[in-house]
Parts: sequence; structure tokens; C-alpha cells
Amino acid sequence: MTSMADWPVVLAPVDPDSEDRLFFTEHEWDTIDAATARIIPTDHHPGAREARAVRFIDRYLSGIGHVYAAADGSGFLGMSGKLADAWRGRIADLGETYRQGVRDLDANAHRRFGADFVSLCDEDQDAVLEQMSGAPKPAPVALTSDGGNPTIQVYAFDDGLDFFDALVTHTRQGFYGDPVYGGNHDRAGWTVIGFPGPESLKDTMDGTYSVREYYVQDYDWRDLIPHLRGEGGS
Amino acid sequence: MQYARKPDPVDVLIVGMGASGATAAKVLCEAGLKVVGLDRGPWLRSREHFSGDEIKFLNRTYLWSDPRVNPRTVRTEENETAVPTPFSMVPQMVGGGTVHWAGWLPRPRPSDFRMRTLHGDIEGASLADWPIGYDDLEPYLSKVEWAFGCAGLDGADAHEPYRSRPYPTPPLPPTRAGKRFYKACEKLGINAMPIPQAIVTKPYQGRTPSNWTSFWNGYGDPSGMRSSTLDTFVPEALATGNLELRPESYVREVTVGPDGRARGVLYIDADGREVEQEAALVLLCLGAVESARLMLLSKSRQHPDGLANSSGQVGRNATFHEYLFAVGLFNDAEPLYGFPGNYISGGSFQFYETDHDRGHIGGALIGASHVGQPINWNFPGRPRWGGAAKDADRDFYNHAMKIGHTLHDMPVESNRVDLDPDVKDAWGLPVARITHKAHPNDIRLAKWQVDKNVEILEAAGAWKTIPVYLERGRASGNTCHQHGTVRMGTDPATTVLNEWCQAHDVDNLYVLDGASFPTATGVNPTLTIMANAWRCAEYIADFHAKGRTARLPQPATSSN
Repeated sequence: MTSMADWPVVLAPVDPDSEDRLFFTEHEWDTIDAATARIIPTDHHPGAREARAVRFIDRYLSGIGHVYAAADGSGFLGMSGKLADAWRGRIADLGETYRQGVRDLDANAHRRFGADFVSLCDEDQDAVLEQMSGAPKPAPVALTSDGGNPTIQVYAFDDGLDFFDALVTHTRQGFYGDPVYGGNHDRAGWTVIGFPGPESLKDTMDGTYSVREYYVQDYDWRDLIPHLRGEGGS
Repeated sequence: MQYARKPDPVDVLIVGMGASGATAAKVLCEAGLKVVGLDRGPWLRSREHFSGDEIKFLNRTYLWSDPRVNPRTVRTEENETAVPTPFSMVPQMVGGGTVHWAGWLPRPRPSDFRMRTLHGDIEGASLADWPIGYDDLEPYLSKVEWAFGCAGLDGADAHEPYRSRPYPTPPLPPTRAGKRFYKACEKLGINAMPIPQAIVTKPYQGRTPSNWTSFWNGYGDPSGMRSSTLDTFVPEALATGNLELRPESYVREVTVGPDGRARGVLYIDADGREVEQEAALVLLCLGAVESARLMLLSKSRQHPDGLANSSGQVGRNATFHEYLFAVGLFNDAEPLYGFPGNYISGGSFQFYETDHDRGHIGGALIGASHVGQPINWNFPGRPRWGGAAKDADRDFYNHAMKIGHTLHDMPVESNRVDLDPDVKDAWGLPVARITHKAHPNDIRLAKWQVDKNVEILEAAGAWKTIPVYLERGRASGNTCHQHGTVRMGTDPATTVLNEWCQAHDVDNLYVLDGASFPTATGVNPTLTIMANAWRCAEYIADFHAKGRTARLPQPATSSN
């Protein structure tokens, strides 16, 4: 068995211009593309469609070849051993979740609107997604709105998610994740929220990429901490 | 099962090469002992394997233990069937939790070691004093800070206990969120200071502070700027020529001789072969959950209830430091920028000590932080999809901050680790089952502190604040902190280890991770774990390995 430390770099980074489908059929691709475009819609800024979130999801589900980018982004890691076995099972389960999810989207769309999901207007697509989500379509953040999901995990696995939760999770990853995985095309997601992401993963390894300028530049600890001035703050 | 040729016995066998194991390896190897270090996980190379890839490090399982390979199950009540849950997961690899951490390195406080003396019997809790005090640990806290690398601001913490040495390097600059926090604290009369961090901010022992990416918490550091045992104590131990490190070696049992003493371990190597490694001394350093599990897996005629478990206490009194917080959303023009600093900025010990007017015992170190990176930043109630979701990201990603604390949870005897009767890991062995229900003091402490954090956020100018309490007493296991399970103390009937973390029942077995903590403390535990491992390893080198013993004088007030 090849040790995890010696997993080889295989494949290449996802070509930012590629429209090849590795997992989805044409209809599945179009359906998921349309669904991601309702999860993060296009407005005066690009949305999931322009970020190619569907391509990100397609690559992820295509086997275990696009799970871990090489650290420097030069390709992907060729896994082996128990971790590879775990990922084969996880990806197979998620792939089936998506295939069934597309069938469910179409069945719901036909029942309510008499057409495939992909051919519905935005409002009708939202109505289908809202029903599948089991909750009202989210309202804007308001001063009085209630909290929801009470806690935050540092890590967020996708193992065992149902279709709607997987769709939301992966659309977000395909919008905000490093472009090496095939999403976040032209750094669309980072631009929308004002995150100055790195030009490449390699730049995060060798000191090229820095956010030092976003710290407070001019400061004196005594201005910030009264105790250092021998006063206040107990 | 294939069997490998049996290797020669060694002086010391260390199982788990994370925070405590690597510290012990450094101390013992430098003292001239021959050590074999085993780790279940890989031995990665920081400069080659780590970079700022949020998907790989935070959303997949590159460093995190894969829940399909190493599952863990959790339940709240005794009669429930435990459910597979990634609860208090720690990276299982050489370097352990020090590889992925933000690097909070606060010191414990003298009161942390005397909870029973200070508070007596608290109903439903199993408070105990430690068999060591702050003064016993202080020299080792300093040793770790200086050998490992640490950044902090001398004199900033008004509540700081005695320290024999200053911080080796100064703190990082304040983040914009940190500056808001400092200003709000000044307004409220709260003493705030930079949180001591396992990072070097100036050239230090051959390390250069060159990683300003803020891909820190959850990521490996490719530069060596942040302190991990993978990049410090492991190579230092190897440099002595006395350490042989065998990664991807899964220990399934500690074996014992006819006299009940530890003989060595059985492990499965990377090629699936079973190997028996004998040693004069066995040190367990797997973390509080997995060390307890391995002891319970190691049943024998001499130890029918698990290794060194005549007290029946192995696995019990587990504490987990649930992370609780309040989020502030801001609607003013000045961005806070969520990414620099990455989970570690200003903090305060103002509320750490017990104040009975609050209606609970104990308290918290609070810390201001960002809310996360683009994919995984979050706040309770964040819209999940549609235009509202996009607006929330766009409006608040750079206009949010959080003030949180890790919960100083009470030890409870029934909160424990045992073996799951049904769920097996990828090697076919029963996994750790966690039974955990918060003590009422935990819920009250969390409520009071989260409300206080809301007050600070309001003073900082937050437009909206969102508190996250310990709902229904159900912890989610959202920190890697784990302690208890194999407590140290002076009474073999109620504790498993003595003051050197040596098993009462098995004199050549030590447990050096957070499992030995009688109580959780209110601070991030790694500095305390490493300092304690250093202290015990020094005892092993100076006394045990030379055939001598020593006792640590106990304070008269100790009721344990």
C-alpha cells in the first residue's frame, strides 16, 4: 500500500474552459446546473452558474480522482488504502443521491407544473426546491429573525447528506472553493464577497500569498489595552 | 492475518505521536533512551503536503479522521443506542492535533488544579483536585513555550499567574475584529489581551514567520511558522538518533505478561501485517478518547475489565469543552475582514474565576475571532439558499465577528468512553462510544458567558447579535479538546494514574495525554498536556528508567 505521504499526483487541475461531463448525463448536468443557479442565483454579480458549480459537482462525483487536489494545485492525489475505500463508498453513495435527486426534481416539477425541472421558470423552480427542502424559502437576515442551526463545526463533512442538503453544500463549495476543483470560475465567488483569495494553491505554500495588509497596520498595544498603561480594565 | 518478524524490544514504546507523544519522545530521546514511536496515521511533510485549500482541509478528510475509517458513536442517555457522529475528532497522524490547530496556547490557572478544595461536592459532578498544582507545572509551561515557539504580549493579562519567563516572541498584529473587541472591552472595563498562540512572529530557532495566508485553523502550515510537534519535537527527537518512528501502525492491544505488567503492543502495520513490539515501558498518548478505548480493548486474564482498570474508572469523567459563542453582525461601513487571524485574536481572562453571584462555579477564557472562511463561515440562522443567502454572504462576510469560549465542563462519572457493542472501525475493532450529558453547571455557565459575550458585541457596535447556548445540555463535540477518562490522583480506588501519570495497577504503563486531567480546566488544553507530558517524561528519564521512584508531596488541603 502506498502511504498517504506518498500518494502520487495524478490527473491535472480542472481545465477552466472544459465543458466535458465525467459523471452526469446531459439531462442531469442541465438539471443540476439549473438547481445550483437557484441556490446561489445570478444578480448584479455572478452566481453558481457562472462559477461552474455544476462542473465542480460533476468532477467530485466522477470517482475518487478529484477528491484531494495536490497541495500546490498541480493535479489531484491518487489515493490508496483504507481512505480510498472509504471515499469510493462515500462518492458512490453521493452519486446515487444526486441521480435520485434529479429524478425527484423532475417528478415534483411534472406533478406541480407539468414539465421537467430544467424547463421551469425561476419562481417555479424555487417552489420545487422549497418543497424538497422541507422549509420555507429563506428570507433575508433581519434584526428580529430567529437563529437556526445552533452550533458550528470547524469541519463540515458531506457524508450521508440528503439531496437538498448535498446540493446546497456542494453549490457553496463550487462557488467559494479553490478554482483547481473546477468551480469558482474566474474567482467569481471570492469576488462577490470580497475575499482576496490566492492566485494559486502554490502561492499559499511559499509565502507569495499574504493577507498581512488586512491586519491593523498602525497600532500601539498601550492604546488598545489600558492595563499596559497601568490603568483601568481591572 | 500475516505476521511480521518480531522486532527487538526497546526501552520505551510511545503509542500516538501527537502533542503529548512527541513531547515525551523529545525528552526521553534527548535523555538517551531508545524509543519507538507508533502512530495510526500518516507522517506527512509540511512543506510538501500543506496549502490553503479550504475544500481539502475543512470539508473533506485530509487531516480529519475519516468517519468511515475511524467512526465514533455518541449518545446522551444510558438507554439510547449511540449514533455514529464525528464527536471531538482529532487528526490521527504524526503531530496529531497540533498539525491542524489555530494554536491557542493559554496557561491554566492555579484554581484549575483545586476545584474540589475550592468548591467541595457539587451534586452530580465528580470534582477532584489534581495531584499536582500550578507551581509543579509552571517550569514545564515555560519549557514548552520556549522549545515549541509561542507568541504573546508580556504584561497584558491582568489576571496572569506567576510565570518564570516572558513570551519568546511578540503577538501578531491586532485584526480589525480584534481592535473592535479591545475597544469594547475598554468601554466595559474588561481587561483584554492577545491570546497566547503557538506561532513564531520573528525568526526563531531556524523558523521564519512567512505564512500570512490565514489558512490556519484546520489547515496544516507549510511554512513552519505555526508550532506543531510534526515540525519541532518530532525532528528534534529524530536528530538524537534514538527515535524510530513508524507511521500508519495501528495499535490494537497493549499486551501484558503473566505478572500483569505491560509487555508491549500488537499493531497492524501499513501492509496489514500484525507485529508485536515489546518494550520495557509503554506510554499511551492517543488522546483521551482513544487512549481509554485502547485500554478497554486490552482485556486479559490479569486485567479482565481492561488494562489498569481495577478501579473501574477507565473511560469515566470525560470532559469535552463544547465551544459556545455569540456572533455579531455589523452594518457600518468599516469592514472587519473575517480572514486574517483566523480564529485567534483578542481574549480575556476577566471572567475565568468563580464568582458565586453568577449562579455557577468556574468561568471562561473568552476569545474574539472571525466567523470563518468563504465556504464554511456561518452563523445560526444564515439563510441557506436563494437571494437571501447570497445577500447574507455579500453583506456580512466581511462584517461579522464572534466572541466565544470553550466550556469548562464539570466532570460527571457517567460521562464516559466505552466500547460500542455494534459499530466497528475499518480494522474490525469496536469503536469508542461516548455517553455525554451536560451537568447543570455547564448550562448555567454557558448561558451567563454567552450573554456577556453578547454585551461585549453590542458595545463593539454590532447591529445584530446571535447567541449560541448549550441547548438542551447536548454537546455537539465541536472542539478537539478531550480530557478525563484516565484520571490521575493519589487513591488507586478512585483514580487510574498517580501524579506521574503512571498507572496504579501497571507500573510500566503511563498515559500522558489529556486523559489524565482530573478536571477539564477552562483553557485550551494542549499547552497543559504538553507541559505535563514533559514533566512526566522527565520523571521517567530521571527516576523510572534508573530503577528509582519518587513521590510528589501533596498539599494538606487536597481531599483526593
